[in-house]
Amino acid sequence: MKRRELLKAGGLAGILAAAQFPLIKGVLAQDRYAKYRGQTVVMSIPSHPHYDAMTKILPDFTAETGIKVELDRIAMNRMKDKQILEMAKPQGDYDLACYIVMWKTEYAKKDLIVPLEPFFSNPALADPNYDMGDIVKGYLEVQGLVGGPKTYLPGPGAKLYGLPYGSETSVLAYRKDIFEKHGFKAPQTYDDLRRILAPLKEKSGIGALSSRGQAGHQCVHAWLLHLNPLGGEVFDANWKPVFNSQAGIDALKILKEISDTGPAGIPGYGQGEMINAFVQGQAAMYLDSILIMGLVNDPSKSKVVGQVGYALHPKGVRYASQSGGLGLAIPKNARNQDAAFLLLQWLTSKAADIKVTRAGGNASRMSTLNDPDILRQFPDFEILKEQLKYVEPDWRPIIAEWDEINIQALGVGISEALTGKRSIEDGLNSVVPKVTDIMKRGGYLKA
Amino acid sequence: MSTNSRSNARAAWFFVLPAMIVMFVACLYPVISAIRLGFYDWSMGTPWAQAKWTGWTTFEIVFSDPAIWRSLWTTLKFAAVSVSAEMFLGIALALALEGNLRGMAFFRTLFILPMMVAPIAVGLTWRYLFDAQFGLVNALLGVFNVAAKGWLADETLAFAAIIVSDIWQWTPFVFIMVIAGLAGVDANVLEAARIDGARWWTLTTRVKLPMIAHVLAITLVMRLIDAFRVLEVIYVLTFGGPGDSTEVLSMYIYKTAFIGQKLGAASAISVLLLAVVMLLTWLALRMSNPLSDGENRR
Repeated sequence: MKRRELLKAGGLAGILAAAQFPLIKGVLAQDRYAKYRGQTVVMSIPSHPHYDAMTKILPDFTAETGIKVELDRIAMNRMKDKQILEMAKPQGDYDLACYIVMWKTEYAKKDLIVPLEPFFSNPALADPNYDMGDIVKGYLEVQGLVGGPKTYLPGPGAKLYGLPYGSETSVLAYRKDIFEKHGFKAPQTYDDLRRILAPLKEKSGIGALSSRGQAGHQCVHAWLLHLNPLGGEVFDANWKPVFNSQAGIDALKILKEISDTGPAGIPGYGQGEMINAFVQGQAAMYLDSILIMGLVNDPSKSKVVGQVGYALHPKGVRYASQSGGLGLAIPKNARNQDAAFLLLQWLTSKAADIKVTRAGGNASRMSTLNDPDILRQFPDFEILKEQLKYVEPDWRPIIAEWDEINIQALGVGISEALTGKRSIEDGLNSVVPKVTDIMKRGGYLKA
Repeated sequence: MSTNSRSNARAAWFFVLPAMIVMFVACLYPVISAIRLGFYDWSMGTPWAQAKWTGWTTFEIVFSDPAIWRSLWTTLKFAAVSVSAEMFLGIALALALEGNLRGMAFFRTLFILPMMVAPIAVGLTWRYLFDAQFGLVNALLGVFNVAAKGWLADETLAFAAIIVSDIWQWTPFVFIMVIAGLAGVDANVLEAARIDGARWWTLTTRVKLPMIAHVLAITLVMRLIDAFRVLEVIYVLTFGGPGDSTEVLSMYIYKTAFIGQKLGAASAISVLLLAVVMLLTWLALRMSNPLSDGENRR
């Protein structure tokens, strides 16, 4: 079977299998870029540490290829509005767009971004040494695939619409000095975690665990972190809401305990406040994105340099860590699609992945995480490599309607439970009708 | 009508027409488009050809949603409290600083600075000020031995926080309007009142403020309209939370349009917001009738 046929067969299996076959040879890298020399690729990117790192390596791309890159950097929470407005025009200004994983299905469903298979099948553009199979599998599945039986995971009909660039999973970070001083051990299970929250706060005098908690996406993200390891799901196999099951209730209970024993003000915390509380020494633990690994060792931002240890995201009924972060896709209305693909391919190549990781970005490839020099520079990556085995691609249902469910339904009920306005059970039960309505409107459930 | 009158009327239309065209294009057309959009189900980012005509259904669904009426109530509370406080403080400051005392020009400039700051920056600034761990507000409370509070983590405190930030930003607007109004008060009238024995309180409440009532009414209307449209600061400070306790109508419209991707429904709610603002404006203008001339006022 030819590589093209494999890719067309759909899904990651095809893409990964294709990576094992030799690509069409004879196209030198310089030939690939010659036609596009002098063109400018416009990228839509967020203010984010990974993309700060990317800006440091972009001059290498321009020097190597002659293709210029222009960046439109905006706050992450305003990026989607602007991208949709831009990508809905007949011809847009963006050639390459960074997206949060939750938007991929909506963008693809609205025909705003294009599948990548035609580019990877084009011998004039594709790099024969690209090695798709080297990209962290969980990242590639969750960040790139749209379609399949669940619309956002691998399977028949799934197509690759984007590549992970700034992807992440969750790890537990803890203050080694505080844990040693008071005789605590890093929690390995949720029972361990529950047991140490109150005594850790009492003995250390600071919050036990920092967490997000602001209404909307932030508190839902915090709750999902616990829902998956505790065995819960948002929907059952027939798209019926089941988030108010016992596992959902248990996840919200532990989040409430974390909020009550954490640094003051968690129900108002976004990601920034959560990170700040930990790096400024106001919390003894952190359980969220691996983004923290770069920040704790930056003396200009951290008061806990050299005092932080890492452990796996605690086990509930199973190990299941977050799968999320950022990816890159090519808008359908891009002016320079081919040049944009060349930039995308270059950025996510083995060599550039090592460069961006050295510059403070997130690694997306196993070869980077196994590179001895990288491991010497970032010894904490050992725990990351272990954690990546437990990345849960179905961590949240990234259907096109997820943003509305996330922010306007779950994000209200969970927030009200965190502030005590509603009980834990009522916080979840109160939004079931709204979520059911959204699912009926989306055609997942019968009206 | 005489030839002369007809000619005058034509000339009047000739001069007014450009302004009318600009008003139509810049104001009326978007409003009409928004009302029209309310009759469609259209998701942002999809071609207009995919929009579905829904007739009154969108309005029926939207207006039967309790969340909208909760948002409207939150907006009314927010506007009532913040605008009242801004009017009171702005008038008080203007009265205190209206004289030509030494250094007053500096303070006047200082007081209007918050108004010039971009709303997003105001939101971010107050978000840091209200931070439970590192915020200046809790640090100041600590000086008086008051326990630190999670300002943005509690429904009542978060509501207070958005009001405080609005008062901080927009009291200067009231101040500048009132001080301009006071500068136009006839000094002879004030002198006559003083000769008649009026003291400061009487002079202020019986002479100065009534003489600038039209300025106060316009200021009130403009602040009310702005308060009903407030979005950016709340977006940054609380994003409508905790729960939906600070979800004003503009925030709800934003979420419906950009998160729920329901532009038709968002437009239908915008029509409601427009109606409420128009009603309030009409009431405020009727109370003071500032646009009529002196003859009509008498």
